Amino acid sequence: MKAWLNFSPEIVNKAVISNLMKNFDVSFNIMNANITPKGGKMLIEISGEEAQEGINYLENQGVHLTPVKRVVKKDNDKCVDCGACLSLCPVEAITIDEEWKVELDDQKCIGCGFCTSSCPTKAIKLAD
Amino acid sequence: MKTIEEINQKIKDGNAVVVTAAEMTRIVRETGAKEAAKEVDVVTTGTFGAMCSSGAFLNFGHSDPPIKMAHTYINGVEAYSGLAAVDAYLGATQPHRDPKIGIKYGGAHLLEDLVRGKEVELVAEAYGTDCYPLQNIHTHFKLEDLNQAIMINPRNSYQNYAAATNSSEETLYTYLGTLLPKMGNVTYSSAGELSPLLNDPYFKTMGLGTRIFLCGAQGYILGEGTQHNTEVERENGVPVGSAGTLMLKGDLKKMDPEYLRGATMPEYGPTLYVGAGVPIPILNEEIAQHTGISDQDIGCRIMDYGVPRRSRPAILETNYHQLRSGSVEIDGTKIQTSPMSSYRKALQVAEELKNWIEKGEFFLTRPVELIPSHGQTVKPLQIKRPSILVKDLKTKAIITATAQDNLSDVARLMVDNNINHLPVIDKEGKLMGIVTSWDIAQAVAKEVQELTHIMTKKVIVAMEDEPVEVIARRIDKYEISGVPIVDRDNLVKGMITAEDLSRLVCSRDDKRGESL
Ligand code: SF4
Ligand code: SF4
Repeated sequence: MKAWLNFSPEIVNKAVISNLMKNFDVSFNIMNANITPKGGKMLIEISGEEAQEGINYLENQGVHLTPVKRVVKKDNDKCVDCGACLSLCPVEAITIDEEWKVELDDQKCIGCGFCTSSCPTKAIKLAD
Repeated sequence: MKTIEEINQKIKDGNAVVVTAAEMTRIVRETGAKEAAKEVDVVTTGTFGAMCSSGAFLNFGHSDPPIKMAHTYINGVEAYSGLAAVDAYLGATQPHRDPKIGIKYGGAHLLEDLVRGKEVELVAEAYGTDCYPLQNIHTHFKLEDLNQAIMINPRNSYQNYAAATNSSEETLYTYLGTLLPKMGNVTYSSAGELSPLLNDPYFKTMGLGTRIFLCGAQGYILGEGTQHNTEVERENGVPVGSAGTLMLKGDLKKMDPEYLRGATMPEYGPTLYVGAGVPIPILNEEIAQHTGISDQDIGCRIMDYGVPRRSRPAILETNYHQLRSGSVEIDGTKIQTSPMSSYRKALQVAEELKNWIEKGEFFLTRPVELIPSHGQTVKPLQIKRPSILVKDLKTKAIITATAQDNLSDVARLMVDNNINHLPVIDKEGKLMGIVTSWDIAQAVAKEVQELTHIMTKKVIVAMEDEPVEVIARRIDKYEISGVPIVDRDNLVKGMITAEDLSRLVCSRDDKRGESL
């Protein structure tokens, strides 16, 4: 599953992530992170045998978990291929092909919403 | 050398050679401008970008009883109707009158709805006259019901335009899209080598009467657009920043929503995506050479919009080939770019125009007057601030002495109130003179007793209705530290000091810094 982990300031310095990797059979992928000594957010994808146990462990350690279910859909009739969204996507899920058509890869999308709020024609919508 | 008439004959005969500006770039590169000029008859250009300076004149026809519309709202968007009774100009950037909708649905969206043939609501208010008695109208109409719907865009197709980035700590929402903090992205807007005015950089072929592609219909160039600027820096013959512009005209009724879209720049406002294409007749080698320009040769500066002033600092000089690659490098960091204008649609415009000409549906025109190619600059707007008058100032409660006052009382008065000047008044309150603490000290030393002997009688004053700037200059000129304020009858109203003035000037300058 994909989820945002919210770290409060108290646990930023604890080794929760490395303990998770050491003690549970999970594969763990960090897709986006913004952590400072004052706390922060990390977007992860977690899978494997003990994924659920791993998630329980994180929650017990005080890491708040918000699963990402949202993906975005682009309405190609509305989209004018202006490309305004291209440089806003933090994970390069939006690309432009050889025919200068703007494409959105919803597999890569993390549902951050940057593109939806910045599309001039409101062509991209968050879908549950 | 060819003429427009010869080219039109070829179009009629179905054997004109028409290529897009992108194809022409390749042809000139491969065969040279001389050969290209012989071979090619017309180069079609195209652009599809957000053009705020767009709109349409609408004529509704007369109702019975008739109305002279003073305020006109279409789908809640006001169209300017300070024209004849039933004419209005609907501007693309006009937000919805309901602040809850605001910029989400504006003039641009309404223009698109009209072109899509949707029925829209018309509300008009009037003050009523003998010949136009009706004061209110509430009805519905479609584009086809109007007598005329003429698009007139005062400023379209910027020749070139700077790219944007943002060095500040906050996300900025601009007419060039969303700019992420700490130079998180770069946005640019020109169609580069496809763009009309970059293919005719000295306006050798375009002018009043040039027939063009405008939003899917045939339209015309009316002349140079507003803010047309010819005195600009050039590289490889083309401007590196905003320069020439076009004023365009077209028939809204014939337009195609494929090439006209309402949009909202987030937290900025409504704007209209306009597809425009200008055909360039290849009359000679020089014109061929110009249309051969490539993205690589067109320079563009990336400006820092984190600096909220009219002149923003340039961060990097680059070109459209680099920008279109998807990223640029600033200080060793790769930064993603966003085009803002659709290159795909720009190509589509150029292809469609080419198609029309090849099919013999579109003929070239000779402009009645060319776009000016020199002597035009853009003047900035000077903010002329209204003067603050002396009487508008808040000065301290006035302390005065009368001619009969005892010198030691006067001295104490000045010390107690921490002031250096004291106006001396007569019984009616009229100004007689002024004493300073220095005068008092001298008087004590010389054992003079009469205030009237030591005061300065020829007093420099500030009249109540003089602007403060004038007083500041006066204080400066006479090298004094303050002047009494008097009215027309010479009655003393207060004191104004150099200190009061400098405080005022500082606070005004701060405000000016924010509002530009
Ligand atoms: S910003 Fe919107 S209209 Fe522009 S390319 Fe992206 S999805 Fe399409
Ligand atoms: S919501 Fe948009 S910007 Fe965010 S990851 Fe998905 S595609 Fe990229």
